[in-house]
Amino acid sequence: MKIGIPKALYYYYIKDFILFLEKLGVQIVTFDTTKEIIDLGNLVAGDEMCLSLKIFLGHVSYLKDKCDYILIPNIKNYGKNDLMCTNFTSLYNLVSNLFHVNILTYEIDYKNKLTEKEASFKIGQELGFSKKHIIKCIKKSKVTYNGNLKSKIITNMNNLKSSKKKILIVSHPYNLYDEFVGKPIIKYLENLNCEIIYSDLFDAKTTSEMSKYLSSDLYFKYSKNIIGSIVISNENIDGILFLTTFPCGIDSLVNELVIRKINKPYLNLVIDDLDSQMGVITRLESFVDIIEQY
Amino acid sequence: MKCYLGVDIGSISTKGVIIDDDNNILASSYIPTEGSPVTAVKKLIKILKDKMDDKYIIKGIGTTGSARKLIGLLLDATIVKNEIMAHAIGTLSLYPDTKTILEIGGQDSKIILIQNGIITDYAMNTLCAAGTGSFLSSQAKRLGVDIKEFGKYALKSDNPVKIAARCTVFAESDLIHKAQAGYKKEDIISGLCKSIVLNYLNNVGKGKKIKEPIVFQGGVSKNEGVVKYFNEVLNTNVIVDDNSHLMGALGIAILSKGKTDKTYDLNIEDVSFQTKARECKGCSNNCEILRIYKDDKLIDNWGNRCDKYIKN
Repeated sequence: MKIGIPKALYYYYIKDFILFLEKLGVQIVTFDTTKEIIDLGNLVAGDEMCLSLKIFLGHVSYLKDKCDYILIPNIKNYGKNDLMCTNFTSLYNLVSNLFHVNILTYEIDYKNKLTEKEASFKIGQELGFSKKHIIKCIKKSKVTYNGNLKSKIITNMNNLKSSKKKILIVSHPYNLYDEFVGKPIIKYLENLNCEIIYSDLFDAKTTSEMSKYLSSDLYFKYSKNIIGSIVISNENIDGILFLTTFPCGIDSLVNELVIRKINKPYLNLVIDDLDSQMGVITRLESFVDIIEQY
Repeated sequence: MKCYLGVDIGSISTKGVIIDDDNNILASSYIPTEGSPVTAVKKLIKILKDKMDDKYIIKGIGTTGSARKLIGLLLDATIVKNEIMAHAIGTLSLYPDTKTILEIGGQDSKIILIQNGIITDYAMNTLCAAGTGSFLSSQAKRLGVDIKEFGKYALKSDNPVKIAARCTVFAESDLIHKAQAGYKKEDIISGLCKSIVLNYLNNVGKGKKIKEPIVFQGGVSKNEGVVKYFNEVLNTNVIVDDNSHLMGALGIAILSKGKTDKTYDLNIEDVSFQTKARECKGCSNNCEILRIYKDDKLIDNWGNRCDKYIKN
């Protein structure tokens, strides 16, 4: 059985679950974002949707004939004050209305006691695997995932001690690691001899707690995690790059809020699907110039 | 005499200066780019050369502006640098006490904050060209007014019409409505200049502490109407240098000093410099690759997202 997973939005938050599916013995089909995928997304997307959502829909469109099921998570919340962006919560309905595909849902709703473990169990059974096998795979995937994450976090923390100029990129993982949005920017900054500090590679519990220093009543789970990274790394970094896709409602609020409270050089970069990289390069280059003056 | 050439190739105009060791401008020129940076620069160099006497040697070349990379290759430049640095260095050489630089160019607008001669903060417009020179020049065309006369028209009016300042697409439809409703041309132009100022302060200058002395530069600083409203809104007198449009070119010329022992000749008129665009079919990204040929020899290519297309 082949399960297609759009490499956008949710993909970067449910890596533990994807690992679980692999351990179960399911074949995962997923692709890096390409220009073709963005174009496919633009064909079906509404004009007010953010670039990240357009990319997501492009992935679904690209995957639809290449697998038996498409995994569309439906994460409603992680508890009372840990909500999701409305775009995320609309994905299931959006996809089921736009495409004729078999959808596999990974539903999480902490308010109604539906946690990751229960959701994984449910899907395992739906796919026809035995209880014993499922429990074994949940355990195995958890160990591997936690191990991987831990080593990444350690690398990130070690990079804070680097002698190069250190730039913290405050951005959602679906922007940071996207082949079209974040990767070219990271590559460009690394070529300018900067050390990249990733805002998502810190311990999630700590960042969530630390975010209170910048805003005590923020209720978007993913935003809490990335702005908490500013508080943790503030002493060791030389500049902050806010990377946003146009027109992200949450980031436009959260970034403005944070920018007023930081004391580091920063650049607020808003990306849309412009083909020419020149405008972005001018902004990055001058940003690094300014950091290097200090 | 040792000289340095600075070229600032913007989207609307191409600027060039030749300076001596003490940063005095020996020759300068300002011509429209007209969508063809290579042709414009060839023209520019010819004008600059004609203005100089024979006893000079070029010891450094710098390029800046949105076509800096391409022209950097054409001129074999010593330094290729973004506009922020170039503008700041250029302005500081003339006004060392400057604390704020307001700059509105053809497709970019920026604000640069300086403390004790060091850039401490800057902001640029987002990737859309709202409220910049290209918007003004397209509106000038729509109203049938020469862009050079635009500022003078604005000064004639003492009753600027209100024009939406948030977004220039709205501003444009506002402007059409007002024109059709029968408002006088100078009132509309004056309102437009005011909306540029408000738009700039709202978008680019948002949250920045604008401290005096303030220098206003870039092509749009030549527009007396915009200068008037900056003074009015900020309640101050912004400094506009006679060479306010040349600051980028001046800055990059200064930055090119002392970087190399090479001597440059400026015989580029007969150099054939061509670019050929082609779509790479290597993967589904279909990058548009621009290949650059100097005298029919491939010297560089760019536009590729991966490394498959490195020089060959």
